Amino acid sequence: MRVLILTSEYQPKRLGNISDHVSTLAHELVKRKHEVELVVLDDWRPGFEDVCGVHVHRVANPVKTHPMASVLTFAVTASLPIESEGANIVYFYKKLQKNTDVIHCHEWLMVYPAINLKHAFNIPFVLTFHSIEGHRCHDCFSPLSIAIKEIEDAGIWESNQVITNTEWLKNEVLRYYGSGHRGKINVVWPIGRDWVDDVVSVYRKVVEEP
Amino acid sequence: MRVLHLSWEFPPRIIGGIASHVFDLSRALARRGIEVHAMTCNFLGAKEYENIDGVNVYRVESYAAGDSFLSWALRMQKNMERSGCDLINFIKGVDLIHAHDWLSGVAGIGLKNLYRKPLITTMHSTEYGRRIGIHNDLQASINEIESWLCRESWRIITCSYYMRNHVSWCLRVSENKICVVQNGVDVNKFSFGFNYWGVRNRFAHGSEKILLFVGRLVPEKGLDVLIEALPNILSNGIDAKIVAVGEGPQREEYQQMANQYGLANKILFVGHVDDWTLRALYRVADVTVVPSKFEPFGIVALEAMAARCPLVVCAVGGLNEIVDHEGTGLKVPVNNPDALAWAIVRIIRDVGFKDWIVSNAYQKCMWNYNWNNIADWTAGVYGAVLHEYYTGSWKPINKV
Repeated sequence: MRVLILTSEYQPKRLGNISDHVSTLAHELVKRKHEVELVVLDDWRPGFEDVCGVHVHRVANPVKTHPMASVLTFAVTASLPIESEGANIVYFYKKLQKNTDVIHCHEWLMVYPAINLKHAFNIPFVLTFHSIEGHRCHDCFSPLSIAIKEIEDAGIWESNQVITNTEWLKNEVLRYYGSGHRGKINVVWPIGRDWVDDVVSVYRKVVEEP
Repeated sequence: MRVLHLSWEFPPRIIGGIASHVFDLSRALARRGIEVHAMTCNFLGAKEYENIDGVNVYRVESYAAGDSFLSWALRMQKNMERSGCDLINFIKGVDLIHAHDWLSGVAGIGLKNLYRKPLITTMHSTEYGRRIGIHNDLQASINEIESWLCRESWRIITCSYYMRNHVSWCLRVSENKICVVQNGVDVNKFSFGFNYWGVRNRFAHGSEKILLFVGRLVPEKGLDVLIEALPNILSNGIDAKIVAVGEGPQREEYQQMANQYGLANKILFVGHVDDWTLRALYRVADVTVVPSKFEPFGIVALEAMAARCPLVVCAVGGLNEIVDHEGTGLKVPVNNPDALAWAIVRIIRDVGFKDWIVSNAYQKCMWNYNWNNIADWTAGVYGAVLHEYYTGSWKPINKV
C-alpha cells in the first residue's frame, strides 16, 4: 500500500508530540513493507530526503509574513505547497502506472490539503486528531477558534475514517462535532510499536471501500 | 477551448471593478466561441448556478467566520478550490485557469498544481499601489501572496503598460511574462433615452455645474485634491458642485474637509448608486474628474468617454495611456489642485473645445476599448500559453 502522510512536523522539526508520533508511524509502516511518502511543512530545510526508506518531502510556506501571527493565514497559505507536492507525488506514481492508495493527515493544519487532494484525485483520506480546538482554546468563541472548529468539522465530514488516541478524545469529538460520526471514529492507543498495525487496519477499511 | 475563470466578485456581488470586468470579458469570450465557466462567491438572492449569455456561472459558499479579512479571503479561496475540483471533474477537465487578482489567485494556484493546467492571472491592482507603499504586516502578507501568485502564473495580464512596469518591479517578476490587455467598455449601454432634468435635479440645482467623481472614498482615489481645487473653481465665477459616487472609509474626513472650506453645500456624497443612475449621471455631468494618485487602469475614464462626458484626469498610471492631453481629455499633474481647477474651468468655459474632445474620446472608445477586440487579444494570450503548454513537458499523465 502506498500512503501519503501529510503532517506539520517531522524530525528534525519538533514542536509537539506529532513529530515523534509521525516518525514512529512512518518508519514502522516501512518495516511492514508499505511505501510511505511524507509531506511535511518545514520552512528551514525544503527539499527531498530518503530517511531509512521514508520518502520525506519538506516544503516551505511561500508566505512568510502573517499579520498578528495569525495561525489561520499561515495554515491556509501553507496548505497550497503541501497539496502541490502531494499532487506531484501522485502524478509521479501515475506515470509509473502505480496508485497512491490513501492519504493520512494529522490535525486540522493539514485538513485543507487533504480535502482538496481527495476531491482532485479521488483518494480516500484518514484524519488523526491529537487534540481538538475546543480543548486547546478552553471553549472560547473567538473568531479564530470558531474558524478552526469549522476546519476540524469539515475534516471530519470529508474524511473517510478518523483516528483518535484515546476513547476519551473520541467521545469529546462526538460531543463537539455530533454523534452521527460515531461509525467512522477509530481509537488507536499509540503506545509501543504494534499500534501501527491498527492504523494499517484503518487504512484497509478505506481502501477496500467501493 | 474551455476556460475556468475565478473571481471573488461577479454581478450581482459588486465590490470593485473586477466584477464588471469579469462579467463583460467572460461574455465576450463566450460570444467568440470559447466555453467559459466562471466561479465566484455566493451572494444573497443570487442563484448557485446560472447561464448568463453563454457563461456558466457557479457561486460557491463563502464563509463568514475568520479573525481578519485576509484569513476570510484565504479560507473562501480554499472553498472555491474544493468546488473547483468538483466542477473540473464534473465537466471532465478544463484547458486553462484564469484568475483575477490575489483574491481568487490562491485558488488558482491550488487548481493549477492539482490538475497541471496553465494558470493565467490578471493583476488588476497591487497592494503596494492600493496603499501607496507597504506599511504593516497585513499589507506585507498580501504583497507576498501577490508575488507568489505571479511566480506561479504562466502569464500575467495587466491592463496598462504602467501596470506592467509596476507589477514587474513591485512583485519581482520578469516583464517577459506580462502581457498588456486593456479594459473595455460597452458604448451601447450609455445610449438610452431618459429625462435629463429629472436626473439632474436629483443631484444639483439648475444653475450648478456637476463635477462627477466616481470611486471608492479611499486616499488613492484623491477626492481630497478635488475638494482643495473647488474654491479656486468657484472664484472663477463657475458655480460648480462635486457629486461623489462611491463609499469608503475616508468619507467622514472628506466631509469635514468640505465643512472647513465652508463648502458643505457644494459637495454631495451619493454613496452607491445603481448602474442605470450612474450611467445617467455620466450623461448629465459637466465634467468627470479622476484625481487619482494611483490608478492601474481607470475604468471611470472609459465610462465617461463612452457617455460623451468631458474628462479631466491626473497623469498617472493607466489614465496616462487612456487620455491624450487636449485630444480626448485634459491631463494634469498628480496631487495638484491648482492645475486641476485650471483644467476644469477650461473645459466648462470653452464649449467648442469640450465638444471636440468629447467626440474624439467617443471614437477612441468605439475602436480601442471594444470588448470584442479585447476578447480577441485575451484569446491570443490563451492560444500562446496553450501552445507553450502542449509543446512543454509539464502535464498530467492521462494514462493510469
